[in-house]
Amino acid sequence: MKEKKKDSTAVRGGTASTSRASISGPVPRQDAPGKISGVASYIGDLCFEGMLYARTLRSTVPRARIVSIDIPAMPEGYFVVDARDVPGKNGVHMLTDEQPFFAEERVNYVGEPILLVTGPERGKIDQILRGIRVEYEEIPPVFGEEDSKNPRIPPLFGERNLFCEYEIRRGEVEEAFFDADFVFEGCYHTGAQEHVYLEPQGTAGVFDGERVTVYGSMQCPYYVKTALVGGLGWKEDRIRVVQATTGGAFGGKEEYPSIIAGHVAFAAIKTGRPVLLVFDRAEDVVCTTKRHPSLIRMRTAVDDRGAIRGMEIDIALDGGAYVGLSPVVLQRAMFAATGVYRIPCIRVKGRVFATNSVPTGAFRGFGAPQAFFAVEMHMHSLAEKLRKDPLEFKRSYLLSMGDPTVTDGRMKQEVPLPRMIDRLCKLSGYEKKHRAYKKEKTRRGIGVSLFFHGCAFTGSGEKDKIKAKVLLKKEDDESVSILVSNVEMGQGAQTTLKKIVAETLGCGLERVRYDNPDTDRVPDSGPTVASRTVMIVGGLLAKAAGRLKRRMDEKGEVKIEERYVQPPHIEWDQDTFTGDAYPVYSWGANAVEVEVDPVTFEVRVIGVWGIYDVGTPIDERIVGGQIEGGISQGLGYATIELLQKENGRLRQKNLTDYIIPSSMDFPDPVYELFSSSYEHGPFGAKCAGELPFVGVAPAVAAAVQNAIGRPVRRLPVSPEYLFEAEHDED
Amino acid sequence: MVTQNVVYRPGSLEEAYRLRTDTGALPLAGGTDLMVRYRKTAGLVPDPGRPVLFIGHLKDLRRVEERAEEVRIGSCTTYTELLSQKAVPEILKRCITLLASPPIRNRGTVGGNICNSSPAGDTLPVLHALECSLVLGNIRGERTVPIDRFITGPGENALSEDEILKEIVIPKAAFSGWCYRKIGTRRANALAKISFAGLYLIESGEVHDIRIAIGAVAPTVVRSREIEKTIIRIPRTSLQRSTVEMAARYRPLIRPITDQRSTTGYRAGVTLVLIEQFLTAVLQKKG
Ligand SMILES: Cc1cc2nc3c(=O)[nH]c(=O)nc-3n(C[C@H](O)[C@H](O)[C@H](O)COP(=O)(O)OP(=O)(O)OC[C@H]3O[C@@H](n4cnc5c(N)ncnc54)[C@H](O)[C@@H]3O)c2cc1C
Repeated sequence: MKEKKKDSTAVRGGTASTSRASISGPVPRQDAPGKISGVASYIGDLCFEGMLYARTLRSTVPRARIVSIDIPAMPEGYFVVDARDVPGKNGVHMLTDEQPFFAEERVNYVGEPILLVTGPERGKIDQILRGIRVEYEEIPPVFGEEDSKNPRIPPLFGERNLFCEYEIRRGEVEEAFFDADFVFEGCYHTGAQEHVYLEPQGTAGVFDGERVTVYGSMQCPYYVKTALVGGLGWKEDRIRVVQATTGGAFGGKEEYPSIIAGHVAFAAIKTGRPVLLVFDRAEDVVCTTKRHPSLIRMRTAVDDRGAIRGMEIDIALDGGAYVGLSPVVLQRAMFAATGVYRIPCIRVKGRVFATNSVPTGAFRGFGAPQAFFAVEMHMHSLAEKLRKDPLEFKRSYLLSMGDPTVTDGRMKQEVPLPRMIDRLCKLSGYEKKHRAYKKEKTRRGIGVSLFFHGCAFTGSGEKDKIKAKVLLKKEDDESVSILVSNVEMGQGAQTTLKKIVAETLGCGLERVRYDNPDTDRVPDSGPTVASRTVMIVGGLLAKAAGRLKRRMDEKGEVKIEERYVQPPHIEWDQDTFTGDAYPVYSWGANAVEVEVDPVTFEVRVIGVWGIYDVGTPIDERIVGGQIEGGISQGLGYATIELLQKENGRLRQKNLTDYIIPSSMDFPDPVYELFSSSYEHGPFGAKCAGELPFVGVAPAVAAAVQNAIGRPVRRLPVSPEYLFEAEHDED
Repeated sequence: MVTQNVVYRPGSLEEAYRLRTDTGALPLAGGTDLMVRYRKTAGLVPDPGRPVLFIGHLKDLRRVEERAEEVRIGSCTTYTELLSQKAVPEILKRCITLLASPPIRNRGTVGGNICNSSPAGDTLPVLHALECSLVLGNIRGERTVPIDRFITGPGENALSEDEILKEIVIPKAAFSGWCYRKIGTRRANALAKISFAGLYLIESGEVHDIRIAIGAVAPTVVRSREIEKTIIRIPRTSLQRSTVEMAARYRPLIRPITDQRSTTGYRAGVTLVLIEQFLTAVLQKKG
């Protein structure tokens, strides 16, 4: 491949910042040679002497008591591993540990693991699995929120079938509604989404008689380790977790790998042999976590001058069968509920309900995409109702520095949206097109979305839960090792973290080493999630490198440790959800132009534009990769990625039916970076990983609304949805 | 225990016929349907549970021959090969460019699409509209069957256990235009929700021939010669019904299902509009 000239690899259109930090210039990706040449070892490439394979027997019903399991006599060398082989607690630790490693008496979703068959030949394992009979006594399942009220359906969780429920109030909201001239209401639905990381989930377990090592495709080695401590009931020092090169994750490998890490650990201990468990794609689609489907009701009090007085927002998320990370996902959704707007007073209610279906979990954006879809469509429709231009209307409510957030924190930094919107309009031709398409019956439309992403963990998570710790070590051979538990999963962490250290030390990149984390070697710098890796972990590494720099002349090994300290400007009360939910925000604005086929209602995207403020980009090409990937994933979510449940079963069970975009489906996006600088981020960096996904769907939906002249209230904006909407009204 | 699949790779069509009769082996042309249908856990070889007969390499099945009255396509000619053949009708080429993706088109065959007999087979409505017939051969000889009598239901057809589809015969006919539309969810590698093939011939102001065939909206391809006859050779000025009414006559024939790809309502509704639009376009043509 020909190396492009340095400048031409910069983000299309160039960055709009006048002073481009030297660290922003793109360098060759550090993980590329290994991946392209095939040297990198993904989980499926691992092979140990005497290794056994494993496959999982899963529930075929959404909810039942297991009456009996009939297992035929095992041939020599083949084993069944189930709940009885869990030496510690049969519960996978995440926020709680109520989800079992293996179902014991009950199954709660189709695809829930019941047992593992292990042995030397995969064909034989399949044959054994086919011979196992599970007798179920079915229990009426919970499929939706309304089922919680049905007395014939026993609740799945607690008495009201809610995993969690919160309320936030700011200001005199009753008064605002009492005084309102009218109340504008809307209901917004979003669907489930499958991650489709290129590499399916997998783990390998090795037991040496004393210690267990688990290898896996994962985002969070220490989450896995903590889950193993619980499942094994062992001391930490007998457990080691090693990240295998990971082929994509998008949040799908945040909590799920802990379950199958347990499986291979238990199997390795029982059999005394290394055990490899790698999912097939169809299995992965059916049984791993999905994005939370949502129903968000919005009510806005409008006064007689057409001004917004207050908002009431009600968010309901489908959590699936186990709580998982749902409360945190809900919190992020709630904290984004009023979007980028200054609303005088608000009440935000949120809850996650339980259903007998595959658990929902972490997915790029983490609750924010659902909230932004609702608020952006709501503001757009309210503007139309008031006969105002949607973008002008939104512009008049933009947050600015000093304004209160949902949680009554303060916007501590400048909000660059006004300038970003100007630039977006210029690039996309939004204003002229929007007006023209509204008048003409061309079936073309253009829409805009404005959004932020709160960087890193919600609330005081970094300070109270994660407590990140990093190590930087100058080795005897004068190389410098980055010792963190964060992983390269395709997002570019190996490149960006190395750059931060090398640039601070003033040395070449080749001198810095950063291997896949191994919990025996690296401290817990936290999970690779929440767009926190560059800002939080990179920030700690920059500090450590600053200290190491002064000691580079010392002979031999030098170790520098750095621990997370919360920046002084953050105030947060986790019990009342008051204060600064995030240390800082990254900002985005998208425009999308579409054409809707008048016969087939297919939505063709003809243009996508994006302006982003992610602080200082640590590597423009890597940020560009996040933007292009986030946009494609967002366009898929908005238009074609349909994942439906029917009686607790997924209708789209494999990649023939669950359709993600191909390179032929969408045009190349045009985008630019606005670089503000955040004093607590390394070189001024904020967050970039999730942001580009968050705003795409509402921009698409607004464009379709502009094109067809009817409200769009649901994602994905599928041809079937548009067809039905049109025919329902006729 | 390892099950060893038996595979045969005959040197000639004769030998293929003989192996098919003697062993009941399953023909494999490009394998793009078979390898998926019989796939197993990753790392294991697909196993149809019976011997497999490779036929994709046979020269006799991999050719296109143009004759005075017809074009004969060898059943194992790949889609990619067909695209470069002048004798292949344009409507079929258009259909092929929207089918699967280049790697699948390099292996997949029209013969496989026909014998797989899926309601979502993209070439089927086109072949119905072109009124193809199929040459089925076995060790004793050959028979010819029109395509609409060959495919009898989803995945069902009239192929006997000892037969191989040898050729697809496309009769030459004059057309003044055609229309092919595939409604899929994505622009490549997506199975059709609806596929529509229309052909027409207009001479001196009259519709001399019109053929409408629709895939994926009923157990087999929908085509009605009866409805077509109500348009053919009737001066356009004296056509009694509006195109909407004409299209509505297809309504009882369109019996789509709701499945993981689309809904009954969408498929039926959009199909009727596609028919109506095609009729309108044809009737407005000068000629
Ligand atoms: C990723 C992907 C995308 C796809 N996209 C599409 C699409 O867009 N549209 C579409 O229509 N299909 C699609 N398909 C399905 C498939 O590619 C086509 O149906 C193709 O035409 C099958 O041809 P083949 O030669 O590979 O068939 P094979 O798999 O070899 O055979 C299919 C069936 O026909 C039988 N058979 C084949 N040849 C003969 C013969 N000469 N005589 C008797 N029996 C025979 C076989 O025994 C088998 O039952 C797709 C498949 C994949 C994997």
